[in-house]
Amino acid sequence: MQSAHADTRSPSRPIPRLSGGLPWVGHLVPFVRTAVELLERARAECGDVAAFDVGPKRMVLLTGPKASEAFFRSPDEVLSPSEAYRMMEPVFGKDVVYDAPPAKMAEQFSMLLPCLQDRRMRSYGQVIAKEVLRSVEGWGDEGVLDMYEYTKVLTNFTSSTCLLGREFREEMTEEFAQIYSDLERGITPLAFLNAHLPIPSFRKRDRARVRLVELITRIIVDRRRTRSEGEDFLQILMETKYKSGEPLSEHEITGLLLAAMFAGHHTSAVTAAWMMLELARSPALYERVRSEIFRVHGADGPVTYASLREVPVTEGCVKETLRLHPPLFMLMRVAMRDWEYDGYVFPKGTHLLVSPTVTHRMPDLFREPDRFDPDRFGPGREEDKRPFAFQVFGGGSHKCLGNAFALLQIKTIFAILMRRFEFSSYGDPLLPDFHGVVIGPKQPCRVRYRRISAEEGERVASASRDAGAAAAPMTAAGQAMAGRCPFTGARGGEA
Amino acid sequence: MRIVVDFGLCKGHGVCMEEAPTVFQVSRDGTLTLLIAEPPPELRSKVEAAVKYCPTEALSLHDE
Repeated sequence: MQSAHADTRSPSRPIPRLSGGLPWVGHLVPFVRTAVELLERARAECGDVAAFDVGPKRMVLLTGPKASEAFFRSPDEVLSPSEAYRMMEPVFGKDVVYDAPPAKMAEQFSMLLPCLQDRRMRSYGQVIAKEVLRSVEGWGDEGVLDMYEYTKVLTNFTSSTCLLGREFREEMTEEFAQIYSDLERGITPLAFLNAHLPIPSFRKRDRARVRLVELITRIIVDRRRTRSEGEDFLQILMETKYKSGEPLSEHEITGLLLAAMFAGHHTSAVTAAWMMLELARSPALYERVRSEIFRVHGADGPVTYASLREVPVTEGCVKETLRLHPPLFMLMRVAMRDWEYDGYVFPKGTHLLVSPTVTHRMPDLFREPDRFDPDRFGPGREEDKRPFAFQVFGGGSHKCLGNAFALLQIKTIFAILMRRFEFSSYGDPLLPDFHGVVIGPKQPCRVRYRRISAEEGERVASASRDAGAAAAPMTAAGQAMAGRCPFTGARGGEA
Repeated sequence: MRIVVDFGLCKGHGVCMEEAPTVFQVSRDGTLTLLIAEPPPELRSKVEAAVKYCPTEALSLHDE
């Protein structure tokens, strides 16, 4: 049955094809059940280009920097993200981002940019810091917690405050967390085949979205009525107009906020959780991160946008977490016309996939790829600098808009948590949970924590300063920062 | 010292403008304009910071 598809139309080279596909359904079952394994096997068996079928859809996995670059650099008219992400329409809404025509989609995404520009980021950093402090208020002196459960709630608060604003943060209850969970559970490989099947998880997804629209719309109406303003994405979108002069409708604002929240919330939650779990099982590495954080910030100094630029070990650990545990295991485009790469011609309608999860474990790009090694990004190695090799944020014109926000958020969380508590492994096995498109650690994934007393904090800070002074003189960038406002990182009267 | 912008990667976050406002100008809609393509040596550290902190890695610095 497979031969009914002509993979070898002239002048294409024959496209390497993954073995083991069944008649009619191809690799449908493993794609739905164990997609990551399927992609890993495709790479191992076929190399940079691997074709397989999922039901009636013909898919091609592209791995490695060269094939990934071709994918990321292709314009939307050739490789369309909209076609590929139709499954998100029930979540983001009709005529919003991927469901809108390409020009409108580009304009909508560009409306999110002012929300993420440098100056705004400094205030988000402070919001995140406050939320982390608030999150540990009831912790007591020691205990055990499920790390992913904790980071889900925390990043729910941080994202919603930065995106939707204070009202939402204060009004929000467990209901909001439940809404998110329901939305996420509606995004499965099955939704990719048909996002509107009458199954319970999709019905729950749709009910959750309706409820969230109600909550967001109520706040938009309230703000307009009381003429109050927020320091958040919502405010910017409320004031944004299309080039035609038309403002965004409430439906579109809601959809864009959902797109931004969905992009930022669970992705950050899994990353923070994975990182803590990785550090908890590597005490020597944990100590290096902690020492750096104490050295830069002291026992109780403020965590700022500027101070967080001077934490290379911590940053290496964030990147290494993202390399080994990319929240999104595949990115997709659909060929709008025959697309050529490296002598292969992929017919119109082919689904092209890039997989950070697979490319990030290629040994010729990342030495000992299965090892958690934050020093691979440091001087002399810089394994992330090879273009399109480290692709956790995608690449090209659709590269994640929030990557700087994400790094800032994770670093802020650790700079605050690690100075107040000591975390250690509880012994749960560290395994990925492939249920859903965002891949988190399988629960339970618990850690023990113990409060660090003020005296102990001072001792650690002093020891890390001594060690740091002996090891590394202040960098040029650090000296440049010294002239800035210590709270916002701004120069002169800019704060 | 010459700055090269990969406009296929630049998304207009404006980090470069914060670092070196006399060299980079980014409009509200995210369009980057290079004010000085070959900046003088005294701007090197600021331009290096812009290159280092660009979230899309769209900037590179070349010494001829």
